[in-house]
Amino acid sequence: MKELSGYLLRRFGWMLFTVWAVYTVSFVLMRLVPGNPFSSERTVPPAIERQLRARYNLDAPPIEQYTDYLVGILTRFDLGVSIRLEDYTVNEVLAEGFPVSASLAILALVFAITLGVTAGVISAVYRGTFADLSMMATAVLGIAIPNFVLASLAILLFVFMVPIFPAAGWGTLKQVMLPALCLGSPVAAYIARLTRAGMLEVLSKEHVRTAFAKGLPKRSVILRHVLPGALLPVVSYLGPATASVLTGSLVLEKIFALPGIGSHFIYAATQRDYTLAMGMVLTYTVLLFVMNTLVDVSYAIIDPRVKLE
Amino acid sequence: MPLELRRAFVILTLVMIAVAVVWATRFDAMPPAEFSLQNGTDPKTLDPHRATGSPESRILFNAFSGLLQMLPDGEPDPETGLQPMSAQPAVAKSYEVADDKLTYTFHLRDDAMWSDGTPITSRDFVWSWTRMLHPGTACEYNFQLFSLPNAQAFSTGVVEVGDRVEVELWDRPFPDGRREDEVGEANIQNFPRGTMLYGTLKEIRKPPEPDIDPEIDDNANADLMGQWQESWVYVVDIAEVEEDGPDTSVLWEEVVSTQTFCANPSSPIADEKTARIHNVLVAFDQLGALETPDDQTLIVHLKDPLPYFPSLTAYYPLFPVPKHCIEEYGMPMWTKPENIVSNGPYVVGLRRLRDRVRLVKNPRWFDADSVAIETIDALSTEGQNTALNMYETGQLDWVTDPPGALMETLRERDDFYAAPMLSLYFYRINTTRKPLDDPRIRRAIAMAINRTQIVEQVTKAGQVPAYSLVPPGIAGYQSPPGLEPDLDRAKALLAEAGYPGGRGIPKITILYNTSEGHRAIAEVIQQQLQNTLNIKLELQNMEWGSFLDKTNQIDYDIARAGWIADYADPNTFLDLWVTGGPQNSTGWSNPVFDGLIQQAAAETDARTRMELLAKAESIWIEEMPVIPVYFYVGINMVKPRVEGFFPSPQDIHPFQLLKTRDPESVR
Amino acid sequence: MMTEANSHDEPETLDRILKESRNIRGVSLWQDAWRRLRRNRAAMGSLIFLIGLALASIFTPLLPLQSPIDKDLNDRTFLPPSFEPVSMGSREGLKFQDNSLTAELNAFETSVAKARAEIAQLSSPAERIEQTVQLEQRIAVEHPFNQLWNQLGPVSFAMVRARVAIFGDFAMPSLFGTDKLGRDLLARVFWGSRVSLVVGVVATFVSLIIGVSYGAIAGYFGGVTDAIMMRIVDMLYSIPFIFVVIFLVTFLGEDSVKEVLDNYGIDQITIFYIIIGAIYWLTMSRVVRGQVLSLRQEQFVESARTVGASPMRIVFRHLVPNTLGVVIVYLTLTIPSVMLFEAFLSFLGLGVAPPDVSLGLLLNDGVEALSIVKLFWWVVVFPGAALALTLFALNFLGDGLRDALDPRMKNR
Repeated sequence: MKELSGYLLRRFGWMLFTVWAVYTVSFVLMRLVPGNPFSSERTVPPAIERQLRARYNLDAPPIEQYTDYLVGILTRFDLGVSIRLEDYTVNEVLAEGFPVSASLAILALVFAITLGVTAGVISAVYRGTFADLSMMATAVLGIAIPNFVLASLAILLFVFMVPIFPAAGWGTLKQVMLPALCLGSPVAAYIARLTRAGMLEVLSKEHVRTAFAKGLPKRSVILRHVLPGALLPVVSYLGPATASVLTGSLVLEKIFALPGIGSHFIYAATQRDYTLAMGMVLTYTVLLFVMNTLVDVSYAIIDPRVKLE
Repeated sequence: MPLELRRAFVILTLVMIAVAVVWATRFDAMPPAEFSLQNGTDPKTLDPHRATGSPESRILFNAFSGLLQMLPDGEPDPETGLQPMSAQPAVAKSYEVADDKLTYTFHLRDDAMWSDGTPITSRDFVWSWTRMLHPGTACEYNFQLFSLPNAQAFSTGVVEVGDRVEVELWDRPFPDGRREDEVGEANIQNFPRGTMLYGTLKEIRKPPEPDIDPEIDDNANADLMGQWQESWVYVVDIAEVEEDGPDTSVLWEEVVSTQTFCANPSSPIADEKTARIHNVLVAFDQLGALETPDDQTLIVHLKDPLPYFPSLTAYYPLFPVPKHCIEEYGMPMWTKPENIVSNGPYVVGLRRLRDRVRLVKNPRWFDADSVAIETIDALSTEGQNTALNMYETGQLDWVTDPPGALMETLRERDDFYAAPMLSLYFYRINTTRKPLDDPRIRRAIAMAINRTQIVEQVTKAGQVPAYSLVPPGIAGYQSPPGLEPDLDRAKALLAEAGYPGGRGIPKITILYNTSEGHRAIAEVIQQQLQNTLNIKLELQNMEWGSFLDKTNQIDYDIARAGWIADYADPNTFLDLWVTGGPQNSTGWSNPVFDGLIQQAAAETDARTRMELLAKAESIWIEEMPVIPVYFYVGINMVKPRVEGFFPSPQDIHPFQLLKTRDPESVR
Repeated sequence: MMTEANSHDEPETLDRILKESRNIRGVSLWQDAWRRLRRNRAAMGSLIFLIGLALASIFTPLLPLQSPIDKDLNDRTFLPPSFEPVSMGSREGLKFQDNSLTAELNAFETSVAKARAEIAQLSSPAERIEQTVQLEQRIAVEHPFNQLWNQLGPVSFAMVRARVAIFGDFAMPSLFGTDKLGRDLLARVFWGSRVSLVVGVVATFVSLIIGVSYGAIAGYFGGVTDAIMMRIVDMLYSIPFIFVVIFLVTFLGEDSVKEVLDNYGIDQITIFYIIIGAIYWLTMSRVVRGQVLSLRQEQFVESARTVGASPMRIVFRHLVPNTLGVVIVYLTLTIPSVMLFEAFLSFLGLGVAPPDVSLGLLLNDGVEALSIVKLFWWVVVFPGAALALTLFALNFLGDGLRDALDPRMKNR
């Protein structure tokens, strides 16, 4: 217990450092890219632009902007006001969009893990059979098709040809299923392959053969002795899996008209909405960091031999 | 790992899943709206003085009402279905124009009120237009009121010795009652304003000017200049002010005292008696441009006899905004759905980012009885295919941006509306760069583009090839003969300019913002020029932000652009190109053209005015600072169960005229 | 030990033992792996497919394909797959002599030859040089190939010349149909695969160089150096790369920077490769670091150190080659990620610029053409199949390589 809390404390410290580093790099990157947030189809006269810059504290020297903003974040969790979406503070934008993206990501991951692990286990146990080969072929399909193509095909199939799901939008369980499915499929495919490989490796180990020889029922051997060890590569994949789910959601949120933070991401960058972009970057960073920490902790949970360092 | 911890971990996972499911279903707590439309990107703002795009305009035209409003006028065109519109009474029940066309008298309705019951008076309009022009508001449409005396000087913050000015002291009130000078902190809200003093500017004292280092970038230089301007000291003869109820009138000749003012209290030339101010501006609202003899009468004076002024009042930047609401909540918080007060047929009920803006019928609108639909959702759906899918499954009733690739099939449908719009798709040319500084080359390129192929094979929705600047359909105006697409002539011009057969011509790049439609058109033009003139154009796409910067800084060769008419008059297209105009961005300058535009603005006779504008347009066609490609077509798809929808020249569709045949919405 | 009594068996047993010993060869890792790989049918099939694909990509300009950029808007938009014969240069808008590419080419070359003859007649050498330069310029601009292909490099140009010489005006019919601007999809798939593959390979290669060096150094030196270097990697993992991509694409697209790069012969696509490579090296470095960490304890490292080899030499000469197995496996798995990432970027409009074409761009077009109103299935199915098959093959090959290089399966 003490070991765990010590570990978490150290990770928290690293997280703060990482967030600071990311903040600095992003700050520099965003200022270096040509362009300013006040471009629009109609040119803004210089006098007006000065007023706008003053309002958003963009006329202060960069160092001052840097420290002011940083202080604001650390003390008040105040990420500022969005420059493009005038009526909203960044916190409000995140508050509105985050639950959507998060629940989509969680459901996609849950789907991916469930489907992936099950398929992987079945494939490994019934290795070489038709079931195995067809599952692995489907899995490769999941990896080989970009998710926006998959989404378009899925819409054609499941919205129009066989009208099960609504076309777009957010609010009912039905509306979230198709996006979660499309988002989770590539991850499920990868997890299936990883599970299968892991299972095969553990299945050939001595202690498993002993367990079988002891006469234990097959199911219990697989679930209790084989699976935990086989899941290690899957668990360590969950970090990059989360990252890919979060980026994949960018595209899917556009296709399914979901009010999440994914599309804010792209538009904030392309429209030079400094404050919103910074908010996105920092959220994303914290999310990934937390996810990686969780992954490390789960590693330790699953494999008692691993120590948290 | 102790066992409890492992169990805790599993429980945590299950909890997260439950949370995810709850979040996923939480949104659907409200009943569906009666009518839904695709509104494109999220509206940037709901403040009429800060909005500029179509998604914002669709909401603003229906949430607010101006002096006049654009309503159908006359019979729709039998061929295209285009319904002509004109500015008709709204908040103003009638108006008169003086003979010299320089004075408008508006008579307001006495039952016009805000959605919270506060009555609307003529002073609301004065306050709103002042706010719209105020430099601190940074309204990008402020030039629309520049024909009012002193408006331009006020809006650009320019004051000269001898002007009658207003001075805003540094004591703006905060919401909690304290003032700036008490707190020591600036209030960035421009309204409510601090104490206002009025007088005549006697002198401006300036400290030594800072040196501008051309090495530093423009922003830093602008900041330096700005800081220097803030340290100027103004000497003003303060005049006496007479209060008469809500009206103040300034007795300019009665000088009470002479004081000095400065924006920066630590300026080197300020002394202890110099009062701290926000700004010194021309006293626009006290110099007679607008008069309010009583609550229901508004008199507007113009410098130029603009024939399209009534249309301007029907356009959203000139709509009134609620003073009491803005002064209470400040900008931009006053536009939040829980705070906003408006005066249109609908009010903003709900707003969710990247999801929708819900409009609810406003019972206090003066014509509320005629409004048929109770709730309207403006959905922020950008994907063209997504919108079409939602339309097909009944989630949307009105598509504003159908997929381009399917245009051929879609335009055969009954629910498809395409009608000419007062709008131009064009390619801006940087006339300061070789070889495009030579008008022969510009004309050659313009002639070599096969516009018919583009509108028939690429955009395919009935767009009209454009050989001149002003779209057809403006009553009383006849465009001069436009460019002739003559390939041989184009080749001859190219040879004349020194590049026979396209040899030796420097590389030219077409810049466009990332979008499927623009890419297709650019690629086709690239091929056309390769085939006909052997000029190899390069294509470069940029995302919106970078693209606009390049355009505004005139750092491109050819850049794609578009312009929709602000009002139904050729001037909205022509005055874009005056020397140094904010929308010019081409570096083109022609003093004869400028002179003609100014002359037309001052001309009272309608026929002569149109002739002057036509002459200006022919100069423009001759020099071709910009290549017109095609005139847009307003494209919409609307479900058959909806009545009261018609295509209009500016693509304005008043929601209060819409009716649905069945009261239930189809889900 | 043999007794005197069994001496008549000795020669046969000895022979037998000797024969057996000759069959047992010391196998190097690679030979052993290759043997195992050969037995994996899926992997071999993939390898053959990929080799075929590589050849097809290299020799694409030589193949009798239609033009990938020529748009025939009037007649050939959204045509379904068909066997209708086509002829090069037959489109009216091109205004080729006799509506044929070969005829136009002949006419062009005749006029060039005439011009050259005229130049040879000139008296002053300075003028001759000047005229030659102008002539070269003219050839570059007006050559008929410019109408049908985009910016052919010298090698591609030669290949296209050869193709015209061999096949004349013949071109394969639109077996994959045409797209919304009337361009032949078969040609576009081939040219697009070429670009996508190159992006994948080059970017992966860039990531390989950076990642392997970084990871090997971190793994070898261990301790504080390792901790710092890996922390940096952790942090870089958290930076949303989309910002980096936008930044780099915009920055390197600036005219001033572009001029400098043009002088070095680097164009936009090359930049693209480098940017993507710069994003993918992180995973590679982690993998290599893990591998090096375990290899560090091995004997051969110790002996190298004793002999006095410098750390750099140990890292690059001894450790890195031993990680190659893992690295190769990851290579074959990174290329698919890169290609998918390129498709993602194209969807957002940040990818390859037209008239160049890549599979990502094709898929983007394809998705547009899929709707319930009208289904132009060929626009998405063929590029999608091309991408999927390539990725399949890479994945199977990667799996096979991983199995083959697994040291535990040695000699099995």
